[in-house]
Amino acid sequence: MAASFKRIAVRRSELLPGQKRLSLGSVAADIGLVFWFVFSLFPIFWMLMLALKNAEEQTTTYFSFSPTWSNFATVLSDKGTQMTSVDFKASLLTSLLNCGGAVIVSLVIGIPAAYAAGRWQYKGSNDLMFQMLSFRFAPELMVIVPLFVIYNQIGLFDTKVGMIWVLQLVTMPLVVWILRSYFQDLPEDLEQAALLDGYTRTRAFVMVALPIVRPGIAAAALLAFIFAWNNYVFPLILADSNAGTVTVAITKFLGGGGQAYYNLTAAAALIAALPPLILALTIQRYLVRGLSFGAVKA
Amino acid sequence: MANISVKDLKKTFGKTVAVNGVSVDIADGEFFVILGPSGAGKTTTLKSIAGLVDIDAGTVSIGGTDMTMVEPYHRNVAMAFESYALYPQKTVSDNLASPLKSGRTGKYTQAQQTERIDQVTKTLGINHLLKRFPRELSNGQRQRVALGRVLVRPADVYLLDEPLSHLDAKLRAQMRAELKQLGAMSNTTTIYVTHDYQEALALGDRIGVMRAGTLVQIGTPDEIWRTPADTFVAKALGQPEINVLDGVVDDGRIKLADGSLDVAVPADAKVARGDRVRVGLRPSDIHVTSGEGSLRGRVLLAERLGRNIELTVDVGGAQMIVLTSGRHGVGEGDDVTMKIADSDVHVFAAGSEPGDDTERLTQQSDKSLEAAQ
Repeated sequence: MAASFKRIAVRRSELLPGQKRLSLGSVAADIGLVFWFVFSLFPIFWMLMLALKNAEEQTTTYFSFSPTWSNFATVLSDKGTQMTSVDFKASLLTSLLNCGGAVIVSLVIGIPAAYAAGRWQYKGSNDLMFQMLSFRFAPELMVIVPLFVIYNQIGLFDTKVGMIWVLQLVTMPLVVWILRSYFQDLPEDLEQAALLDGYTRTRAFVMVALPIVRPGIAAAALLAFIFAWNNYVFPLILADSNAGTVTVAITKFLGGGGQAYYNLTAAAALIAALPPLILALTIQRYLVRGLSFGAVKA
Repeated sequence: MANISVKDLKKTFGKTVAVNGVSVDIADGEFFVILGPSGAGKTTTLKSIAGLVDIDAGTVSIGGTDMTMVEPYHRNVAMAFESYALYPQKTVSDNLASPLKSGRTGKYTQAQQTERIDQVTKTLGINHLLKRFPRELSNGQRQRVALGRVLVRPADVYLLDEPLSHLDAKLRAQMRAELKQLGAMSNTTTIYVTHDYQEALALGDRIGVMRAGTLVQIGTPDEIWRTPADTFVAKALGQPEINVLDGVVDDGRIKLADGSLDVAVPADAKVARGDRVRVGLRPSDIHVTSGEGSLRGRVLLAERLGRNIELTVDVGGAQMIVLTSGRHGVGEGDDVTMKIADSDVHVFAAGSEPGDDTERLTQQSDKSLEAAQ
């Protein structure tokens, strides 16, 4: 009997489930990813390098130069203001006011709007939501001329109120659409429980729904702020020295007065990138989802 | 404390009819159980009484006041949700304090709140969990907290939506006994929704059996068990399910062609000679006997389930389940004779298809149905 049993002693060549093997393909993919990483980050590296070069070296393309922080100081000083006729510090502050204002307006109006849209279906509610999203489809340049005419006529040109109003067009759809899905995911049992505990609809919303979607609000607010901050066309056409934002101010270093200061432009762009970055780092702990886990059975 | 009166309640969600004409009067302090399979409209009925869904037709009144268009927070109703619906950002203590802090369930000082919470959590055995968040609790603990949030406040009506469904079997039996002993429960009008017939029979003062959005039968546990209004109600109660066999009425008895079934027609059954009927026999009512019997068959399968042996018996081509103590020592393949008391025979109308539900053919159940409505 023992002789009739043939042992098959062929070495296993296939992977067991869950097993990984170092293959040529995966190594090649990793190397490819490293190249892509370098390729994507290179513009930022180049900008940083440019920002550290002095005026004589700004058009050179080699990597050895004598780095200096003076460009950052120049951008923020009166000297920079004289060179560009725009106060960069003031425009930073204006940007903060404009974008902060737009985000606050969007949250104050957008959160209840998103709650209503997420909770109740009524006649035309989907059309209304799509209408709101379609503001984002239309290129800004398409509406900028009529807006410019209207702003001039009603005296909103180059005012902060006007800028907040127009930037809110950019931020509101984002806030409403992001938060609507958060409110849709929220089990309605929670608010119903609050109603039966003796709270009104408004208090049920404030007490129950709002704290749970806080991570969503943080995410939406951050995204809206970045979109508003990066907006260029609206402040370029609808504002001047009073309500002009930092995105427009950066470009002033590229000249107009004959001389283009590439090193100063790079320094200004880096400074302008800081506020959204700081904001993102501050609220990142709120960006983690999953707070509602455990409240309602899966 | 209040009575509840629901009349012709209707609610549809899109094309789905959730509740289709439910009418029921529930007395002050009564413990009323709604029993039915999932999708029968139990939760929708409960939420309609709470005011959490806009009903399409009908009225709901609590304590004699028409509450149909009244906001939920003015109804003085407390509800335990099947999903618990605990506030995730609040501790157990704050969850329980929530109804006391709203100001609509009475005014409580901090000390009174603490005292009430303390009392309820001790009763439910969750007073060591007060500082925890819902996500840090097991399902059984969450369910107790949800129940606690109902009991912590005085309310006219308690609505409990499957409050024991997510507990394991042992804990469920224990909680069922505890629920019955809770003082607040016995004084307050309670509607209790469940799909577990044992809970319904054990807890209910009255039971309403629900199917496809309607209450099929309303009655005391005894009435529902002894005189089910139709085969659906009969099948809803009891595990293993009631056996339903087809028979023919002949000379005051119901028989099968080959003589394997021969039981007396119950005194109050409305049948005539030659009628085709269905006979319902509960597995626990059938007894294996060594003497004369009204049922004969061959044992196909004998399974020991703890104390009892469950026999699958072939009776005239139909399979039925019989529970036996095993004293008679019947095994698979044996021929058995069984007897059943005349009063344990349920007679239903014959159906056109094997699976459909047919009505009970007794005059008594007609009366009890009318009385209930």
